[in-house]
Amino acid sequence: MIICRCEEVTYGELKNTAETYNCSARELKLRTRAGMGYCGGRTCRSMVDSIAHASTERDVTQVTLKYQPPIRPVSFGSLGEITK
Amino acid sequence: MTSRIINHPVLDKVDDTDFVSFTFNNDEIRGLRNESLAAALLANNIRTLRVHEESGTPRGIYCNIGHCFECRVTVNGQQGVRACLTPIQEGMTVSSGEKFLTSVKDWRSNNE
Amino acid sequence: MNRVIVIGAGPSGLSAAITIAENGNEVLILDEYMLAGGRLLGQLYEEENGKWWNGIKESKSLHDKAVALGIEIRLGTPVSNIEKLDGSWVIYTDEETHYTQHLLLATGAAEVPLPIPGWTLPGVMSVGAAQVMTNVHRVKPGNRGVIIGVNVLSSAIAMELKLADIDVACITLPKMNQVTKESGNPMDVMNSLLHVSHMAPSAFVKFGSKLMKNEFMKKMGITFFPKKGVKMWDIPIMLRKAVINIYGENAVEGVTIATINASGEVIEGTEENISADFVCIAGGLYPLAELAAVAGCPFYYIEELGGYVPLHNKRMETVLDGLYVAGNITGVEGAKVAISQGVTAGLAIANNLSGGKQEVEINEAIKRIEHTRDNAFIQFHPAVKEGKEKLQRYWEEYGQEVKVGVTS
Repeated sequence: MIICRCEEVTYGELKNTAETYNCSARELKLRTRAGMGYCGGRTCRSMVDSIAHASTERDVTQVTLKYQPPIRPVSFGSLGEITK
Repeated sequence: MTSRIINHPVLDKVDDTDFVSFTFNNDEIRGLRNESLAAALLANNIRTLRVHEESGTPRGIYCNIGHCFECRVTVNGQQGVRACLTPIQEGMTVSSGEKFLTSVKDWRSNNE
Repeated sequence: MNRVIVIGAGPSGLSAAITIAENGNEVLILDEYMLAGGRLLGQLYEEENGKWWNGIKESKSLHDKAVALGIEIRLGTPVSNIEKLDGSWVIYTDEETHYTQHLLLATGAAEVPLPIPGWTLPGVMSVGAAQVMTNVHRVKPGNRGVIIGVNVLSSAIAMELKLADIDVACITLPKMNQVTKESGNPMDVMNSLLHVSHMAPSAFVKFGSKLMKNEFMKKMGITFFPKKGVKMWDIPIMLRKAVINIYGENAVEGVTIATINASGEVIEGTEENISADFVCIAGGLYPLAELAAVAGCPFYYIEELGGYVPLHNKRMETVLDGLYVAGNITGVEGAKVAISQGVTAGLAIANNLSGGKQEVEINEAIKRIEHTRDNAFIQFHPAVKEGKEKLQRYWEEYGQEVKVGVTS
């Protein structure tokens, strides 16, 4: 059963990884690539979070899966553009 | 086109007279002016918009408002265009992406 | 260069922009969607007074009002990043980079999925996707659908599908696992449904509320809950069934459901297939706060608000100078609350631009948010008020820790 649609990371893979390494959500993401695909993790982040927090405590004072810019894909054309 | 909801008990009637033509994977498709590419394709019974680049599994609309990028297609040569956010235009050329030619070994070995 | 920028043309973004413009300021709104209105566009339900809340009309009237005030609305414009440089907020879009002193994030909410084997098949979509297809684009998501996830959002949208003459085979639960542990547990689902009894003219909730006086009765209610479900708007709601698989060759052909016990475990040998050409996944909504996160706002996880929310005060100001939030980014609630939050944020911005002329109005606007919340027809979380109180406590604690520089 797929959890991360972009990278096709499965529930089994995530659950095993979380149990084997007692991972934080961020470590779970880095180990499996769940949430690192085209959509930037918008679709699966809450599910990856739930799987990680089945075995570790949630820190309510910070976002467990860091957001990284750009939050939408940007073409090299617009990245390189000089604007003022 | 039976899948369009022209009359609705509460919402206004849809004007279904103003069509534009575009192509999807070389097939000619007709849709209503200003509607989204995702809506026009669904109205023509097309559900598969692309395949997963690695596994080749078919994908279609998932969130319909630009968050999930599952409906990304190539429009007039530009890749990664979200069908759900793109109004159709006369003469538009749309195509699905393809599976990567060189696959990764043991892809989804743990797919359970 | 006093032009205010608002990201998000939903109910809160539009009403904030209107308020800012009415107070004599220039505003630019950016939104990646092709129409203004955000999630409001898809909404359609009958209110207690018998009038229809028509999201398309509500969106259009907000949009037209904004345009009449000279507000520029750029649709089809995704924002990829924001940052503070030399005292200004810099907003990056594909075509252009914008600068402002006052930036409002009104980016709304995203949907939470419930994973089911087969959910990547074409024809499986979020329940919000089906809503937009049906009410906004007026294309049927399919001829016969199954909705997975029993909650306020899914029952409201099921009714909307029904209105458009789309057959909904049933609304049922997802098979329970670590991700779906609450949405797949009949007891939890029953509990969360009780607070919506006022909005459901249905045997279902009446059936429920009679039995729900105490824990024992709740358990009995679930145990004796008819396996075939009870009907709401003629759609079977099945709390004792769960979807264990979505099948189909290249697109959805149907789902396999099985009977579950009162704690959500599948009873083997009870599997049956239901044919369908579309499936909706209804896991609820979470605040879409990615821009607040890349800007550097502190965040707190507040379950009652739907997830992580950027820290902000009642005037909708974040701890970052010139950065404001309104609408579902601050917690998942209905469009009317979002509108009143937008007005408040708009007044806070106007007040900061005018050097304090809108103080009285801001206090009234804050009260109006609370009044709107108390009278909301649809509430996504029963304890949203407690969630807001938690947030307020975090704000006060944060102020004491940092001794924010505005005091002297």
